[in-house]
Amino acid sequence: MIPRHLFRSGLFCLFLLLPLSAFAEDGASVVDKAFKHMRGKTSAAVIEMTIQRPDFSRTMVMKAWTMGKSEGLFFIESPPKDAGNGTLKKGRNMWTYNPKVNRTIKLPPSMMSQSWMGSDFSNNDLSKTDSMVEDYTHTITDTRSENGITIYEVTSVPHEEAAVVWGKLELTIREDGVLLREAFFDEDNLLVKEMTTLEISSMGGRLFPRVWIMRKAGETEKFTKLTYKELGFDVNLPKNLFSLSSLKTKRR
Amino acid sequence: MYTQLAWRNIWRNPRRTAIILTAILIGVAAMIILAALMRGMVGGMVENAIDNMVGHIKIQHPDYRSDPDISHRLSEVDGISKALKIVLPESARITQRIRIDGVVSNARETAGIEIVGIHPESEIGISFIGTAPVEGSPITASDKNGVLIGAALAKKFQTGIGKKLVVATQRGDGESGSRAFRIRGIFHGDMEATEKAYLFISLPAAQRLVHEEDSATEIAVTLARETSGKELEKLVMQCRTALEPFNVSVYGWKDLLPAITAYLAMFDVFLLIWFVVIFIAMGFGIVNTVLMAVYERMREFGLLKAIGMRPARIIRMVMGESLFLLILGCTGGTFFGLGVTCYFAETGIDLGAFSKGTEMWGMSRIILPVINASDILFANAVVLLLGLLVSIYPAVKAARFTPVETMRQN
Repeated sequence: MIPRHLFRSGLFCLFLLLPLSAFAEDGASVVDKAFKHMRGKTSAAVIEMTIQRPDFSRTMVMKAWTMGKSEGLFFIESPPKDAGNGTLKKGRNMWTYNPKVNRTIKLPPSMMSQSWMGSDFSNNDLSKTDSMVEDYTHTITDTRSENGITIYEVTSVPHEEAAVVWGKLELTIREDGVLLREAFFDEDNLLVKEMTTLEISSMGGRLFPRVWIMRKAGETEKFTKLTYKELGFDVNLPKNLFSLSSLKTKRR
Repeated sequence: MYTQLAWRNIWRNPRRTAIILTAILIGVAAMIILAALMRGMVGGMVENAIDNMVGHIKIQHPDYRSDPDISHRLSEVDGISKALKIVLPESARITQRIRIDGVVSNARETAGIEIVGIHPESEIGISFIGTAPVEGSPITASDKNGVLIGAALAKKFQTGIGKKLVVATQRGDGESGSRAFRIRGIFHGDMEATEKAYLFISLPAAQRLVHEEDSATEIAVTLARETSGKELEKLVMQCRTALEPFNVSVYGWKDLLPAITAYLAMFDVFLLIWFVVIFIAMGFGIVNTVLMAVYERMREFGLLKAIGMRPARIIRMVMGESLFLLILGCTGGTFFGLGVTCYFAETGIDLGAFSKGTEMWGMSRIILPVINASDILFANAVVLLLGLLVSIYPAVKAARFTPVETMRQN
C-alpha cells in the first residue's frame, strides 16, 4: 500500500506536469516562440524598404538593430536625401531624429497611428510589438502540416482592458517559429491590413523570411515591401546603443 | 384746428395714405422682428457657449488657459469646492472635470479630441452633456471603461454602441498613457462640431487615464438663470477672495468668452445701423408721399397764403400730417411686429436646413426671438424722429409757395 503522503505528492506532481504538457500547444507560447525566433536576443540587419504606390515607388535602405522585445534603432542609409533619419524605440516610446534640423522628437500619442516613414507600417506597428504576448489571448484555431512542417493558425483577441484598436489578429506561424502571416481585423472582423512573409531562407544562422509585405485590405497597387539584405542574430551590441545620444550621433 | 386740418388732409386720399402707412408699418415691424431675432440669436450664442462646458464661473490652475495640460491641474479639489459652497448662493451648481487633449482611435480611424472626465449627474443643468439626448446608455459616475461619443464622430469612425475605442493622452508624469474604452452611448449635440470635439468618460476613469488620483483640471459653476451681470461680477470677486489661499484663477464667463463679449458690446451699434438702413428705404417713401401731397394741393396752399396764413403755420400743418402718418404706422408696425415675434417666440425659427452655416457662428439650429422693450422704443424713436426730420423738406416747400406762383400753375 502506498503511503498517503506519497500519494498526495504524486498527485501534486501530476498537477505540476499538466500545465507543462499543455504549454507546448498553447497559443501564447507559439507566439512567444515566434517572436524569439524572429528577433533573437539581439539582431542587426540591413533592410531594403520599397514603398509601392500606383504612381510611384520609393526604395530606401536602412540599418536596424534590435535587442529583446522592446528596444530597436533604425537608420536610413540611402537615398542620400533621407540618409541619417533615425527612429529609436524603447518600450512603448518612440523618438525620431532628423539630421536636417538636428532634432530628436518624441512621438506623441497623436502620431503613433500615423505611418512610419511614409510606409504602410504605422508607428504603432513598431511600438506595440513588445506587448503582443501580454495584450492578447492567443488560441490555436487550426494546425496543418505542409512538407512535414506543422503550421499553426493562431487567433489573438485583445484583452478587454488592453489599449489595442484591433478586433483580432490572425497569425500564421510555423512550428520552428517563422512568422508567415499577420492579419489585422477590426471589431466587425473585417480585414484592415495584412502582412505576409515570403522566401524563407537561412539568414543569420536561422530560417528567416527574406521578404515581408504589408498591404492594406483591398489595395492591390499599394503596399510596402521589406527585403532583408543582411541579417545577424545574437550579435554583440554596445550597451548604450539604444539611447537618444546614439540616435543623434548616427551610430553605424 | 391745425391738428384737425392735418388729420382730415391725410384722409383726403385714402389710397395713398394706406400705401405709405403700409410702408411705415412694414418698416417698423421689420425693425422689431429683426431686433428680436438678433437678440435671440445672440442670446442663443451666449447660452450655447456657456452651455458648452464654460459655465458662469470657472476655477482653473493659473496656467491652464494658456497651456491646457494635465500638469496644470487643480490639486486641492475638495478644499476648493468647500470654500466655493460657502460663498455661492444655494441655487448654484458646481461640478468638477478633467479636460485634456488626446487622441482617439479604432482600427480604421484616428482623430484628435478633447477628453472630458465628468460626473454625469452633476453635469445636469451645467453643460449640454447633462441633458443631451443619448442613444444607448449614459455613462455612470464610476464607469471604468465606458465612453460617450458624439454622433458625428461615431459616423466618421464607422463605429457604434458596444464597440471599442483606444484613447491616448499625456499622463501627469509626462509619459503617454492609453486605455481601451467601450462605447456606452452616442450623444447628439446641438452642433456637429460639438459632436466631433468631445469624448466623455467618467471622472475616475479620466483620473486613471492620466495617473492622477483625486485631481481635476477645472471646477465649473452655473448660477440661477435670473442672475444679472452685476451679481455675477460680484460673485466672481467673492470667489477670488475666498480662493486666494489655493493659488487658482477664477473666471467669469465674460473672461472665458472674449469673442462673444466683444460681439455683445458691438451689438447695440449693429442694431442702430440696421434701423437706419431700414429707415433710409422707408424715408424716401415718406418724403415722396408728402411731397406729392403737397404739390397736388399747390392751389390750396396759395389760397391759404392769399387769405393770410403764415408760412410757419403751413409748415406746422404739413408736419402734423406726416406726424399722424408716422404715429399710425409706428403703432401698427409695433403691434404687427410684436404679433409676429410672439408667434415665433413660441415655436422658434428652425434653421435646420442651414445648420452647416449657422454652426460656423456657434448658433443653435432653433432661434427663439427675444422681445426687448428698449429695442421697440428705440425703433419707434428712430422712425418718428427721422421721419419728422425728412418731412421738413416738403413742409418748407409748401410754405414757400407764393399765391401768384400757384395761380399761374393751373
